Amino acid sequence: MSVRIALAGNPNSGKTTLFNALTGSNQFVGNWPGVTVEKKEGKLKGYPDVTVMDLPGIYSLSPYTLEEVVARNYLLGEHPDVILNIVDGTNLERNLYLTTQLMELGIPVVMAVNMLDIVEKNGDQIYIDKLSEQLGCKAIQISALKGKGIKEAADLAVRAVSQKQAVVHKFDKKVEEALSDIESALGNEIPEDQKRFFAIKLFERDDKIAGQMKKVPDVESIIAKVEESMDDDSESIITNERYVYISSVIGKCLKKAKRGELSLSDKIDQIVTNRFLALPIFAIVMWIVYYISVTSVGTIATDWTNDVLFGEIIPPAIENVLVSVGCAEWLQGLILDGIVGGVGAVLGFVPQMLVLFLFLAFLESCGYMARIAFIMDRIFRKFGLSGKSFIPMLIGTGCGVPGVMASRTIENDRDRKMTIMTTTFVPCGAKLPIIALIAGALFGGASWVAPSAYFVGIGAIICSGIILKKTKMFAGDPAPFVMELPAYHMPTVGNVLRSMWERGWSFIKKAGTIILLSAIVLWFLQGYGFGPDGFGAVELEDSILAAIGNTFAWVFTPLGWTQGGEGWKMAVAAVTGLIAKENVVTTFGILFGFAEVAEDGVEIWGNLAGCMTAAAGYSFLVFNLLCAPCFAAMGAIKREMNNAKWFWFAIGYQCGLAYCVSLIIYQIGTLLSGGQVNILGLIVAALMIAAFIWLLLRPNRDDGKLRVNMKGMAGA
Amino acid sequence: MGTWIVGLIVLALAGAALRSIWKDKKAGKTCGSCSGCSGSCCDCKPRK
Repeated sequence: MSVRIALAGNPNSGKTTLFNALTGSNQFVGNWPGVTVEKKEGKLKGYPDVTVMDLPGIYSLSPYTLEEVVARNYLLGEHPDVILNIVDGTNLERNLYLTTQLMELGIPVVMAVNMLDIVEKNGDQIYIDKLSEQLGCKAIQISALKGKGIKEAADLAVRAVSQKQAVVHKFDKKVEEALSDIESALGNEIPEDQKRFFAIKLFERDDKIAGQMKKVPDVESIIAKVEESMDDDSESIITNERYVYISSVIGKCLKKAKRGELSLSDKIDQIVTNRFLALPIFAIVMWIVYYISVTSVGTIATDWTNDVLFGEIIPPAIENVLVSVGCAEWLQGLILDGIVGGVGAVLGFVPQMLVLFLFLAFLESCGYMARIAFIMDRIFRKFGLSGKSFIPMLIGTGCGVPGVMASRTIENDRDRKMTIMTTTFVPCGAKLPIIALIAGALFGGASWVAPSAYFVGIGAIICSGIILKKTKMFAGDPAPFVMELPAYHMPTVGNVLRSMWERGWSFIKKAGTIILLSAIVLWFLQGYGFGPDGFGAVELEDSILAAIGNTFAWVFTPLGWTQGGEGWKMAVAAVTGLIAKENVVTTFGILFGFAEVAEDGVEIWGNLAGCMTAAAGYSFLVFNLLCAPCFAAMGAIKREMNNAKWFWFAIGYQCGLAYCVSLIIYQIGTLLSGGQVNILGLIVAALMIAAFIWLLLRPNRDDGKLRVNMKGMAGA
Repeated sequence: MGTWIVGLIVLALAGAALRSIWKDKKAGKTCGSCSGCSGSCCDCKPRK
């Protein structure tokens, strides 16, 4: 007999950790709410007939957010055999609100009270048998992180399948009478065991429940009667009654050791989220992370990979083999200059990325990243975005695709669209090699370059927020940001290493697929073309790639990419970056012949430095950070926007902003560094700065009108 | 002869890379780098 178990619970209660433990999956786990935005499926270990479904974290079954819609539709439509309700043991009161609703669905519920380790550490005591008795469902204490009680919870869930779920909680007599009347009016369309849930939702005037019914009975007079006699609106009546019931349950089942005392997490938060200290601490943390991963430790490993592994070991070894088997010279060129030069240029940055991913995984798992969203909310709100927009950006530090998709957690459509447009401004993992290359080649590995890229991204988001919020398309107050801050905890080594490896491996895999194919195509385009004797092998300057690059290189002249007449190489690199951002480095690797000069790191970067000034290099870096992301991320933007016009507007905005900012950086940078100034370029840059300032400071004319709209939206 | 063997190896490599990209695309994995994946990109479905 096949069994379907649905994992349901509040955000950040440990569902995905439990899902991974139960199924042996490797789904991403983050210590902040909203990590799972779609349901995931896996087979229970040791039970091939048992399917486990991980649902997004929800606070209730009222469909206010997309996650709540996904979860509710699944539970009502698919009707799993049993619900394994994960409850955060450190925050029972809030978690039980969802439990009371789940019990009304007519599906057997088994409760797994998670975070047993933290509950015990706090000295609190949960009387699990009493809790089980009070709620009318089986309950067990577990620690998903430490793997305690997981098997027992799964066994309990499997055994509960054939049992009928009793509803222990009863509302006020008047409410119960009304619910009974509504249940009678529902008819036979709704299954008997779901009638109570539908009746409660109709009583609450949940307009979305009508979508689940063929015929909606008119129950307004029943509701109005109860509202009048209890002097409150129906939704508040139900909510209040639930909380009264939960308080009575908590009073009997939970003994707190330190009532009212600050926990260690609270004490840390007093410093880390302090009004004045939060931002400097965040800046220092990010600087340390990038300093260690890009400038110091990561660089040592990357230098070894570039100079020794891909310089002294791999290319000569491959060359020896190719010569010994009598391989043709053109094929040697393809392998050494194309594949080894191109793919090696990307793989050389793997050590730096692994160190960075290790730090990011630690910050995520310990709970600090959730605080950053909270800190950023204070700043983002001033600029028209909410802290909720920061979660997609946080995820976007790894890869823009899940970052863009994580914007689904934002309820307000305009805020969501703006977040989609700006999420990819934050440097993703694939942009790290570009940052490291420019920092090393043009700034002598200066430690400020990498963190500055991060802050350029945040700056672009903030400025975009201010500018776009003043337009009719985006105007309106940002949605309120309510986010539960998880308790700090020491992440497990396995979790951190797994997260680091997952990110690192996907990067390596990409180098072996998209980058490899791009390198082969680029090698062909840069080595062949129409020469005096017709089509064949030609010099780089006469190649197809040079011809293509030269046709649009002039576009980037104001950005300073034409030094030494090699501007077309930068233009081609920027365009190939649209396939995958790692391609920028691959393109340089092939065009500057990194494989041939790889014995000396300085020489590698020297080639690049020879055709770009520092100002032009930074303008190139900023252009690649802010312009349209890779095709995969553009696809995600298109899907999430669900509208071609919005998609093209987003891509156009990103490219336009990238171009303007890069132009300003190059022109002003050249002026400040005493380089050769182009008067026309300088005038254009000055005009752009003036336009930026005007866009940032102009009054918000649509402000008042929008508030009305927002109210309308809230009411809808 | 050496050129043929090496050429075939390169072709096989490129074919395997293409196959991997195609398989990911078919499985709905548009994201080559699923770092920080919240599960959605392993099961990419258009927003309804």
